[in-house]
Amino acid sequence: MAAPYRIWEILQRSHTGPFCEEKDFMPKIFAPKLKEIVKKYAIKYDPQTPVPADNDLADRVWQAGWELFREVGLYNTDTNRIIKVAEDEIKEALYTAKGEYWVGAGKDAVLWKHRRVEDEAPPFCIFSPDITVNENLHHSMCLAYLKEPLLDGICAPILEEAAGQLIRSAGPTEISGCIQHIYNLRLAARQVGRPGVFLVAVGTAEHDSGQIAVSDNEWGVRTTDARLVGSLSEFMTADTLLNRVVHYAQYGCYTGNLTGPIYGGWCGGSEGIAVSLVAYTLSGLCIHGAHFSQHFPFHLHWGSNSTRELLWPIAVAGQAMARNSKLLYTSNGFANAGPMTEMLFYETACHALVSTVSGWHLWEMASTRNKYRNRATPMEARLGMEVGHAAARQGLTREQANALALKLLSRYEDQAADAPRGKEYQECYDVAQALPTQEHFDMYRQVKDELAALGIDFPY
Amino acid sequence: MSLEDLKKLVAEGEVEKSEALAQKLLEQGVDPIRTIQELADVMIDLGDKFSRLEVFLPEIMLAGDAMTAVVNILRPRVLASGEKGAAQGKVVLGVVKGDVHAIGKDIVKLMLQTNGYEVKDLGADAPSLQFIKAAQEMGADFIGASALMTTTMPGQKEIIALLKEIGLNGTYKVVIGGAPVGQEWADLIGADLYCPDASSAPGMMAKLLKK
Repeated sequence: MAAPYRIWEILQRSHTGPFCEEKDFMPKIFAPKLKEIVKKYAIKYDPQTPVPADNDLADRVWQAGWELFREVGLYNTDTNRIIKVAEDEIKEALYTAKGEYWVGAGKDAVLWKHRRVEDEAPPFCIFSPDITVNENLHHSMCLAYLKEPLLDGICAPILEEAAGQLIRSAGPTEISGCIQHIYNLRLAARQVGRPGVFLVAVGTAEHDSGQIAVSDNEWGVRTTDARLVGSLSEFMTADTLLNRVVHYAQYGCYTGNLTGPIYGGWCGGSEGIAVSLVAYTLSGLCIHGAHFSQHFPFHLHWGSNSTRELLWPIAVAGQAMARNSKLLYTSNGFANAGPMTEMLFYETACHALVSTVSGWHLWEMASTRNKYRNRATPMEARLGMEVGHAAARQGLTREQANALALKLLSRYEDQAADAPRGKEYQECYDVAQALPTQEHFDMYRQVKDELAALGIDFPY
Repeated sequence: MSLEDLKKLVAEGEVEKSEALAQKLLEQGVDPIRTIQELADVMIDLGDKFSRLEVFLPEIMLAGDAMTAVVNILRPRVLASGEKGAAQGKVVLGVVKGDVHAIGKDIVKLMLQTNGYEVKDLGADAPSLQFIKAAQEMGADFIGASALMTTTMPGQKEIIALLKEIGLNGTYKVVIGGAPVGQEWADLIGADLYCPDASSAPGMMAKLLKK
């Protein structure tokens, strides 16, 4: 992360940076600069190669992302000014950043380390449904995810109600919901025997007040856990987000930089997404003081990132950051299909495979376009993490991963627009025991066997 | 330089060049209403391409800016002529209270405007009552409320509840959208229409208005 003592200098630029009207920032500054940079660095999407093995391309994407961030900065909509970071400050932040952190507490602490391209060290695995869930299912779903053997960290499902009341952002119900969220998660962690497990929490908080309300080393989000800082829209922030930056730094927990560049939106196509992912990482490092970045690029219409136009920038940006930095970053899968469908298993496997060989850590898996309540289970995430571990341990190359990815894409890509919604959590899990139904487990096992036949060498 | 050139410039998002050519064409006696109609067709075509992601947001936004600039130049002449293209409908559009994510709403606004709707944009983080007051002032047909976060979706419900509370239920068609929003939510809160994406909004709203 950027040295904490820089925080005041950087954030002060919300008031001293260049003035720009909000309506002009994207069309007049960001979009033309991105277009110019993509051209300058000759970055070209190749749909036939979702996992390129072109080191020069990866390095050009790194340079392009650096230049984009340096030239464009981050816009604060509350002050109508652009926070800009100078070349030397970016260099300083990259030089002083740590390539590894101990996260979580006690016996559950895990060393999270930077990965290289085609690294044989398995990815750090953050399990997350990324979805909202009924209040009465929240604790069970926390338990179910925490039971997962490959889990290094967890981001729990999001509550929409607390004590039977609809949670309203920035109001008292949000505070209440955030506290309920962390209580359920802490209780579940203790119940499964992982009291110190690394949490990224709490997703129920949309407003800064919700996050601040749960900072407590005894019962809440601890300093050994992480929180996220997102953005409003592409490369736009506001004081409510920067409030978190200051709070997390001063509270002493880990800060994650949350970004979701939109394919088809202001970032344009695949090339723009790749460059923006790098730029976002640098922005998070320098402005949010982030210890890691959490990226979920997604398709404007589908809300997913499992098709090749998104896999390509994920692969290229991962390689760019792996080759040119020692930073930590997770690749967050977004699938089109819903739970207990073969399609969701294929999508997750493909996303995890492409990400792993490209140097990413894994954050799996938002299913059903991350749109429908209760539609996520640990089983799809389990398969993704197992693919990640296997791909790393067997030393899969990018070329091998590309061939496998093409085979997997052929199984689901043509259904992306009309993907099946599948089942809700309670339809494919025994809620009381937090275990998958036999039918669900059998489908997972069948797809896993298919993947093994394709050449994924699972350890078990 | 002709109307065809102007259509090309607008499609390419050349704001200043479009303005200059529109001015020139106007001086040459071009029919302003026909010009606007033909440019609207250009925008509809671009909107179709955008729905297939054959073009991306920057292209369509810039084209929208160029279109707006040209319309601003032509408007006085249209008004002076006494002819007036009928608006498809009047819409108060905003992002609900507590939600500061405006990108989806901005795309919907562009789609509506380029399809002939008159739009009053409340921006982001707009209180529920503001939607209703603005609709009353405008004489709106629709209230469009966007929410990008699950915890801000109740803002959409609150607008409908307020309309009922103050006796305006049915006066405006309430249209909702946003990433976490779906038909089930629309049914639950009693919204008149749920639009799954920006491209479908103009057509679905036009159909609703004709009912």
